[in-house]
Amino acid sequence: MQIICISRGSHGYSSELAEKLSKIVGFTTISREQITDKATEYGIPVGKLEMQIVRQRPLSEEMSIVADMYKAFSTAYVCERALKENIIYHGRTGHLMLPGLTNVLRIRAIAEQEYRIKLVMERLKITREKAKNFIFHIDEDIRKWTHTLYNSDLNDPSKYDLTLNSANLSTENAAKALASFVELPEFQETASTNQALQNLLLAANCRLAIGSDDHSRNVDVGIQADNGNVSVTYMPRQSNEAKAIPDVLKSIEGVKSLVCTVATTNVLYMAEKFDPADERFISLTEIAKKWNAAVELVRIAEEDEQPPAYPPESLLPIVTSTNGETGGILDDSDREVSRDEQGFGITETLDKLIQLGLAGGSRTIYGGVDELFRSQIKTGQYSLVAIGDVFSAKGAAAQRLKRDMLSKLKEKFRVPVIGTEDLKARYLFGPKQLFNMIGFAVLFALVYLAVFNFQEPILTFVSKGQFEGTLFEKAIAALAVLVSIPVVAFSIGGFYGNFLKMLKVE
Amino acid sequence: MPGFLGEMFVQMTLPIALQIVLLGFIGGILSGFIGSGGAFFMTPGMMNLGIMGPVAVASNITHKFGKAMVGSKKHGELGNVDKKLAFFMLFTAFVGIRLAVEVMKALFNVQGSHGEGGGAAADLYISIIFAVILLLVAVSMLADLIKSKSSEETGPSTKIVEFISRLKLHPLIYFPVADVYVSLWVILICGLATGYLAGTIGVGGFIGVPAMIYVFGVPAAVAAGSELYLAMFMGAWGALNYAFEGMVDIRCTLLLYGGSLLGIYIGAYGTKVVKEAVIRLTTGVIILLCVLSRIVAIPVYLQKLGFSNMDPSYNDYFNLASKSLLFVSGISGAVIIMFFVQKAYFQRRKLETSLSLAETPSST
Repeated sequence: MQIICISRGSHGYSSELAEKLSKIVGFTTISREQITDKATEYGIPVGKLEMQIVRQRPLSEEMSIVADMYKAFSTAYVCERALKENIIYHGRTGHLMLPGLTNVLRIRAIAEQEYRIKLVMERLKITREKAKNFIFHIDEDIRKWTHTLYNSDLNDPSKYDLTLNSANLSTENAAKALASFVELPEFQETASTNQALQNLLLAANCRLAIGSDDHSRNVDVGIQADNGNVSVTYMPRQSNEAKAIPDVLKSIEGVKSLVCTVATTNVLYMAEKFDPADERFISLTEIAKKWNAAVELVRIAEEDEQPPAYPPESLLPIVTSTNGETGGILDDSDREVSRDEQGFGITETLDKLIQLGLAGGSRTIYGGVDELFRSQIKTGQYSLVAIGDVFSAKGAAAQRLKRDMLSKLKEKFRVPVIGTEDLKARYLFGPKQLFNMIGFAVLFALVYLAVFNFQEPILTFVSKGQFEGTLFEKAIAALAVLVSIPVVAFSIGGFYGNFLKMLKVE
Repeated sequence: MPGFLGEMFVQMTLPIALQIVLLGFIGGILSGFIGSGGAFFMTPGMMNLGIMGPVAVASNITHKFGKAMVGSKKHGELGNVDKKLAFFMLFTAFVGIRLAVEVMKALFNVQGSHGEGGGAAADLYISIIFAVILLLVAVSMLADLIKSKSSEETGPSTKIVEFISRLKLHPLIYFPVADVYVSLWVILICGLATGYLAGTIGVGGFIGVPAMIYVFGVPAAVAAGSELYLAMFMGAWGALNYAFEGMVDIRCTLLLYGGSLLGIYIGAYGTKVVKEAVIRLTTGVIILLCVLSRIVAIPVYLQKLGFSNMDPSYNDYFNLASKSLLFVSGISGAVIIMFFVQKAYFQRRKLETSLSLAETPSST
């Protein structure tokens, strides 16, 4: 079904716009207020969450779970409705609610400030100054909400397909324009978007089930769902509570297989193709083991590759091995592989990750690298982003394009982003690191020997300031301290860093 | 114990050297775990080893410079550094440090009535500032923790942020990484206080980080990263100023590095495996014990300055009690953290890795 998401501020014209548009296109409207009421009925303390965010209190572990539950509830609500009928959602963060779903028409509706002031004055019976002040604070609260829940800037134009301004366009004409716009092929439902919607719904339902069960409600989980294959990651310290997860998810409709992975953090591995035997992949798994991280695979489909149609017969059952708690006998379970996983090594690589206990789920992004930047991958949850082979169709330009991509992704993710070819040198202990470690150790030892063998002359030199040295002597002594300290710090830090890498303690 | 250059610098014996390395190691663990510089433990620890207060502060701030440089590089990679905020605070922080150095210089030359108090006035001053500031930090941290338990409200209080935002002290400056608007005047005052305390007791982070969280409303991770970035410049400036006055004992700085740069990795790992409430409780208790340790040492300085008629033979007992308290707090804190770290390290090797759903009724 078709989805229009209108992102709005308070006392704007988007509610009116949504209603008018609904009358023209016949879509059902859903407002944020409806969802928050339902979420509160469900038992999610939305008001409390809102207060915490508005008052800029950093979210505790418990409140982060509430935020996660609210996001899951909203997603599930919208997805469920969107699977049955065409919808128009209007709320603060509508444009961020369905990440990765390409057929959503994402609108930003801006009302003229004067219009908003008048509306507030009329509705609340307050003075103009108070109304202005009221709008400023409400906008600020919405900005904080968006930032806390989605780590996104509400005013980032790249997140919208269209921005409408009431100062330039009447509500009626805006609604008519949108009615035409939604007819464009880009915003039509396809089998692939339908599947993506089902994936989002399944992940959200799993999240709600985990958060609603007495045994697992406090577990902070990351969930990915792909065609019924659900991947759950959780922190090591919550491993006892997390044992309940398979039982909790058994009854969830649509779950075909489940992989629960204990992970302190996540590593994102993006490439056009995957190969579990590849040396670079092996390096990545070594790093993930050291960090206790789950590896999430994201295949970047080539620009001209079309998403599959997902007919039921394309689902091929495969056998997946999973480790038990003791790492003993392997059980078999049915995991289904979708057509878009075939031929790109995802299945084999994911199975390898499951065997290693490092699986963090998988998915495919269509539309090439550009779509990757448009997609709303949660940027805050990774410790490392590793990029494998990309731009393979571009021949000699591939390396340059990959370099550009790495630097753009660094901006987007704000975590280390690295090509898989550099993983070993940067994060693992090899001959280069051994050489560095020895070098740092020698430098470290020489500095100590020099300072402790010549304590008196060195202290005499650096304490010129106390013993009536000339201005020049004092300045030289101060500069000597200032220059030597970073060298010492980096050599000792470099030695310990490599030493701990050698012990695989990081 | 006879020292170098008019006993300004301590005679470095092997036991003293090893104790400084240990102080560095424990300070590093606490620093990595708590997110502050660890000087709250190392500075008084060094004073308990007979190192003069100003020399301990100078060596520590020099140590902080290099350590912050290494740490802020890591934080920068994680996107936790608001450079704009750090630079705005930097200017007045520099003024604060310089002011602290001048005060310290003046107090360093005050002689006690017994003629033996060289540095005692400075030591007393450092101890009092240390006790007052850290007591405030520890009490507010623990009070917040208790309050959040009872009222189900979590995170630090935002009363100050709300109060200041109501005042609307223009110009307001937007900091994109921290995502807050803060009055320039508030930033400058906090920068001055942070610099002054960094220059006085070497623990600017204990003012800088809470100021960013409680006064500016900055998220905790960004506050820690930005303070570390600021600490790099403040450390450099402090090191330059103290080195210019000839107060840095470079040997102490090197020995501190020998322990702290290892400890900091262990402490940082601890934050990933210990619950938030436990981190805050452990931190609060460790700081309180450090404060107590400093308070116990104050009678010795009072006696040296002639403000107290206490029998000088008691000084050793007070020093011993102070030293014991400090080491008990630091060692027990470090042991608790290391216990969690080793538990998590071994646990990750034997934990269940993947669980399967044997029955999938909905798929059939």
